Parts: sequence; C-alpha cells; structure tokens
Amino acid sequence: MIAELLFAVFFGLLLLGIHRKVIARIQRRPGPPVWQEILHMLKFSFKTTWIPKTASAALFVGVVLVAIGIWSAALFVVISGGSLLVIFAIYMLHKIVEHGFGLSSGSPYGKFGGVRSVISAASEIPLLVSVAAIAIFTHSLLISDIVSYQEVHGPLLITIPLAAIAMYVVLISKMPFGPFSIVESKELVSGYKTEHFGVWRAGLEVCNGLKTYVLLLTFILVFIGSLPFWLTLLTMLILVITLSFVCALSPMLSPYDSVTVQTLLAGLMLVYVGVLGVMS
Amino acid sequence: MNEIGGTPLFFLEFGDIVVYFTPFTLTLFLLALVFTVFVLISRPERQIDIAFGADAFYAKVISLPELRFRRFMSIACGLACMGAMVTGDVFDFTLLVSLVGICNVGIVAAVKSRHVQNAAYQYGLVALAGTVPLFSAAAMVAATTGTLSMIELAKDAVAIPLAARALLVLGVMGEGMAPFYAAKAEMFRAPGAPYVIMCSLSSLLIFLRVAEVILLL
Repeated sequence: MIAELLFAVFFGLLLLGIHRKVIARIQRRPGPPVWQEILHMLKFSFKTTWIPKTASAALFVGVVLVAIGIWSAALFVVISGGSLLVIFAIYMLHKIVEHGFGLSSGSPYGKFGGVRSVISAASEIPLLVSVAAIAIFTHSLLISDIVSYQEVHGPLLITIPLAAIAMYVVLISKMPFGPFSIVESKELVSGYKTEHFGVWRAGLEVCNGLKTYVLLLTFILVFIGSLPFWLTLLTMLILVITLSFVCALSPMLSPYDSVTVQTLLAGLMLVYVGVLGVMS
Repeated sequence: MNEIGGTPLFFLEFGDIVVYFTPFTLTLFLLALVFTVFVLISRPERQIDIAFGADAFYAKVISLPELRFRRFMSIACGLACMGAMVTGDVFDFTLLVSLVGICNVGIVAAVKSRHVQNAAYQYGLVALAGTVPLFSAAAMVAATTGTLSMIELAKDAVAIPLAARALLVLGVMGEGMAPFYAAKAEMFRAPGAPYVIMCSLSSLLIFLRVAEVILLL
C-alpha cells in the first residue's frame, strides 16, 4: 500500500505538471517543465516552516494531516473496490479541508479562499448525480461491482454518457487554472493556501497529487472499467490533456458566475437523473 | 443488510437500538471526531482585516466568555454529529440532526456582530421550521412500517412512503444544509475558525448521511 501511495503522489503531481505544460503550450508560452509540481513538493519539504502568529495553531497544522489522510483513505477505497459513496463523502469533505486551510491562518486572503470554497458547494451535485445514475443501472455502489457490471454490459461511458459528463465537470472543478478555480485565483494571492508555507505546503502538494490520481482513477474504473495498468495510466494522461484544453481555452469565471454556472449544471444533472429514475 | 456504504464492520446493540459502522459511516464518524478534537485543543485564530478609510489593519479577537460558549456548542455539535453518523435508528437520526441544527445556531449566535447575528436569526427560523418535516418523516415511517430500525427498513419487504423520504430530506436541508443556505455565508466570515468549521462540517456530514439513509430505506 505504501508503494501504491507513493506512486499515486508522484504520478498525480506529474499529471498536474503536464496539465500546466499543456496549458502553457496552448497559450504559446514555454511553460514550466512537466516535473515542476514534484520539484515544488520536494522544495517545500526543506524550506523554512512557520506558523503565523495570528493562526489557530492546532487547526493550521492538523488540517494538512486531515487532507493527506482523507485522500490516502480514498485511494485505499478505490484500489480495494469499496463504496463509491465513500469517495463522494471524501470529495465533499475536501471542501471542509479547503475551508480549514483558509480560515485557520487569520489572513484575509485565506479567509476569502475558504469562503469561496464553501459557497461553490454546488460543484458537488454533479458527482451525486453520477453516483445516483450508476446506482440506478448497476444496483450497487461498490466499485468492484460496478467494474464487474461493465465487464458484462460494456462501459457505462456509453450507457450513461451524461453521468460521465457530470463527473467530468467535477474533474474540471478540481483542476487548477480552470473556469471554476475561484478558491485560489490570483486576486487572493493563492487563495486558501496563501499562508501555508514550508512543509505544510509540501503536505498540501502531496494531497493535490493524491486527489488528482484518485479522481482520475475513479472516473476510469466507474465509466470505462478495469484496464491494464499501463493503459490506465495512458487514459489518465489523455483525460488530463483534455482537461488542460478546457482550462486553457476558458476564462476563470467570477465567483458569482462560477456558482451560477455550477448551480445550473447541477440542476440539469438532477433533472437528468430524475428522468433516468422514472424510465427505469 | 444493503451494502450501500460498504460491508458493515461492526454492530453495537443498545436493546433494540443498533449503532453500526460501515466504511462510509466510519469515515464520517472519524472526521467528526477529529474536528471535535481540534475544537477541544485549538485556540481561535485572530482574523486580520482592513480598516476602511485608513492605511491600517486590525485583528478581531474573541473574548473569553464568547470563546467558552462557542467551544461548548461546537463540542456538543461534534458529539451530536458523531451520533447522527452511526445511528441505525431513524428517530435517533432525526433527533441528533435537530440537535446539530440547534448547536450550529448557538455557535454563530454568540458572535458579537450584527450581520452574523442576523444570519444566525434567519438560520434559526429555518432550523426551527425544519424540525416539522424531520420529525414528521420519522412519525410517518413508524406509523406505516411499525419500526424505526434502519436495518429492518432496509429489507426489501418493507415499503417506505415516498413522502416520508422527501420529508426527511427536507428536514435535513432545513437543519443544516449550510453550503446551500446563503445566509450562512455571513457565518463563515465570522472569527473563530475551529467553531465555524464545525458548522460547515456538521452540515456536510448530515447531508452525506441522509443520502445514505435515503438509499438504504
């Protein structure tokens, strides 16, 4: 499990580096090297670390450990074929982590990053819709059962494409530099993570790597099914490149527009799953 | 039993009331426990804010009596939340969810700010109204099935009225669906990070649990 955890962190960070590189190339910039996010994580691990005088110390530190803990648990659940509902719960609880990061420092930049994270809660609804649509078809929320279902009936990507799109929107919401990345936009310096430096930021980078890996792996397992290892990694790479195109070609929305668009998408998805429920 | 939250790991029986842990409820329980410990051991942060009309800033400091009251309410909220995550009884679930709502109001109503108190008052009214559908749902389930045990209700032979499920969701929305309740955004700006976070955490947790309960019933 330790080896898988380390691989997930490094590969997730590599994907985030590729994400930055692709965005840069689309925008005709050279961009950073693809391993830049890994370098960030290693660099922050050895930089001076402090806790601001205004911070709530225990929460300031504890929330970093919680962030790593919940995504490590999520990786374990996905690998062991556990319940998709647990992944949904962890994804939603990540909001509390962002809120905790933002509020614990006492900084106004962090605070507004945290508040933006909470007000954009509508971004979670598409994931709930995906979960509900999958439950309607497979009659189970265990990832192992969903994979088995697809071996018999074919990929859910073809059966319920709109549910796959809903989860794709969830992936967009969590990718950096995307249209919904209001929690860390530049007018807030780095948003909720502004005051977390040194080893705390390294912890946050680890969490980001894990989160990216887990969400992409979940998407593949749930909508495409079980693939050979190398093909899984290749599919992750292709998914990230498509996400990079979306992020590079769409402007970051203002907080209110972001919430409005996410709420509209959530409403549409809820109608879709309602129709699916009635038809089944 | 339906394995929506994963294979059940542990059952704890108190007479006819059963507490059970699945990977899902255990994850939620542990999160509530961890943040309750944070409330216990952490001092609130000092929020820095801009002084308008001057080239200056100031720090918002929480007074000791306010800190003690909010910490007490946050711990009560954490305990209620832990109970709501693992209970296997519909009535206990509704009771603990309503307690979460009351504690959330308490956490923010102690803040000495007109805006925050306005938000707390509005949220208090919604939470108060939310108890009607919440307990109606439990009453309806008991009246139509003769049991409130989620384990019994999860069996295919037991039919739960759709109205009871809808009322349960409506009640939970009223009690603590913070992220969808704009007035609470004012609360999120209030100083006292460990306590404010308990508000949003408890709201999210009861929303997650009710999703499982509805799928289970």
